[in-house]
Amino acid sequence: MNNNIPVPQVETDVLAAMSRPGYAWLTGFGLAGLLFVGALALWAYQIQHGMGVAGIMHPVGWGVYIANFVFWVGIAHSGTLISAVLYIFRARFRTSFNRSAEAMTIFALMVAGLFPLIHLGRVWRFYYLFPYPNQRQLWVNFRSPLVWDVFAVSTYFMVSLVFFYVGLMPDLAIVARHRGGWAGRLYRVLSLGWSGSLREWRHYDRLYMFLAAFATPLVASVHSIVSWDFAVSIIPGWHTTIFAPYFVAGAIFSGTAMVLTLVIPMRRVLHLEHLISIDHIESIAKILLLTSLIVGFSYIVEHGMAFYGNNLFEMEQFRFRAMGHYSLLFWIMITCNAILPLLLFVQRLRRNLIFLFVLGLLVNVGMWLERFVIVVCSLARDFDPYNWGNYSPSLVEIGITVGSFGLFFAAFLVFVKTLPVLSITELKER
Amino acid sequence: MPRHLFFDTPEAFLQELRAQLAAGVPRRRLQAHLPFHLHEAEALLIGRPSRLRYFAMIGALLGFGGGFLLAMLTSLDWPIITGGKPIVSVPPFLLIGYLMTILIGSLSSFIGFLWLARLPSAKTLVTDRPFDSRFVLAIDDEDAS
Repeated sequence: MNNNIPVPQVETDVLAAMSRPGYAWLTGFGLAGLLFVGALALWAYQIQHGMGVAGIMHPVGWGVYIANFVFWVGIAHSGTLISAVLYIFRARFRTSFNRSAEAMTIFALMVAGLFPLIHLGRVWRFYYLFPYPNQRQLWVNFRSPLVWDVFAVSTYFMVSLVFFYVGLMPDLAIVARHRGGWAGRLYRVLSLGWSGSLREWRHYDRLYMFLAAFATPLVASVHSIVSWDFAVSIIPGWHTTIFAPYFVAGAIFSGTAMVLTLVIPMRRVLHLEHLISIDHIESIAKILLLTSLIVGFSYIVEHGMAFYGNNLFEMEQFRFRAMGHYSLLFWIMITCNAILPLLLFVQRLRRNLIFLFVLGLLVNVGMWLERFVIVVCSLARDFDPYNWGNYSPSLVEIGITVGSFGLFFAAFLVFVKTLPVLSITELKER
Repeated sequence: MPRHLFFDTPEAFLQELRAQLAAGVPRRRLQAHLPFHLHEAEALLIGRPSRLRYFAMIGALLGFGGGFLLAMLTSLDWPIITGGKPIVSVPPFLLIGYLMTILIGSLSSFIGFLWLARLPSAKTLVTDRPFDSRFVLAIDDEDAS
């Protein structure tokens, strides 16, 4: 399919996407940047006035900040799935998506990492999370899932960053060749003086394989560990063994939807139609369908276990989710995550870009709501009716949440104009 | 000065490489620059696996041991019982060891790669020699004299 393109044509096609930004880019970047700056201002307001400006209070002490954290870590997952797991399986369609999916992983993790800090309140004490020698001779509690989270997410971020950079090295040297002046020199330095010698390639090839092998278990483990933040507690609705696989499937599901949300417009705007084929997008849609089935199955199992078991609190929790204060959100979640994606069984729809784009957006709405329903419902209705209470996010929380999308999209837009959005080297190899 | 031969396709490049080796040109006089990796060129010109695996393995083992020991020794340093768990709680500490296996293994592989591939390459950075989009075979003829 792409073998007919002469070699330098691939380079010029991909690098054309890095041309001077037009009005559409500037408008998008301006809007996303504005949302992010707004969120920063709201965060500053929260720091100044205290956590009272957020809607979280007894009994719901974890609100949208934690839901956002779980959501964004989840979004990161499909990047690693596409770049590492599909590399090991030698899936050829990964070449169309791996660079943008890896960038998405990095940006999603950056955004995710902010939320525990925002949730901390006294953000200037964030370094208490890390084990470091201090005068009080205190260490972090390694038996706490929150500490596992710190290790899991920071490991995930660093490994993803190295993987992303290593994948970029030869491409940076190609950009350096095409660019003159200081920009060319900058790209050359960033490529560490890559010359494409056999010595470089043979070790590079092994390195890429090792990094893929190291990153592959992270796809399963990072969101499992995030799920244990909940599952290790005794709160009804959280204390369940299905959480780890259920979260991992949900993470890949939402991440795949985000890949579609980003790649479909990117392909159109940057004129990459002949490099990112419909066949490849259909493969991504199949991953979306598969993970949707797993997520739908998990919903059934979760509710089945609650009602088949003999635990009153667990039953009440799941009744509350489906019929209580947040039932509307619950049913939107079920519709977006488990019912609408079933349409992907129809091949025509799997190849319909507008449908896939809209479905990607809806799945992300559904997955965000899933995080919200899991986090909030269990806290709002735990064991003792005296301890029940509903939560709704404050304007500050909503603003910061919207701003996190601003940061994510702004970062992605900068990526599109500064780095090759497709792996030129791998396209040549293909 | 080495003689440079340029090829547009990997097939033509490999054919010439095989011809040179068949003609008795020793491997050390042949240098290849490629737009992407060719396993066959590696097999013909080098023929032994990359030593990067040692970096990956040593880093992974150090990461695992270091991670587990970090959790264990810091817990023993301030032995306070939380959640009714033993001071040395093996399952959660294994988790830290597992994550550090991946982190240190990846980082040491990357550092090992830079070391083995001689990067960053001051020579390329200074001489401005571009990363060619063609397959280049450099034959050092002077060595023959």
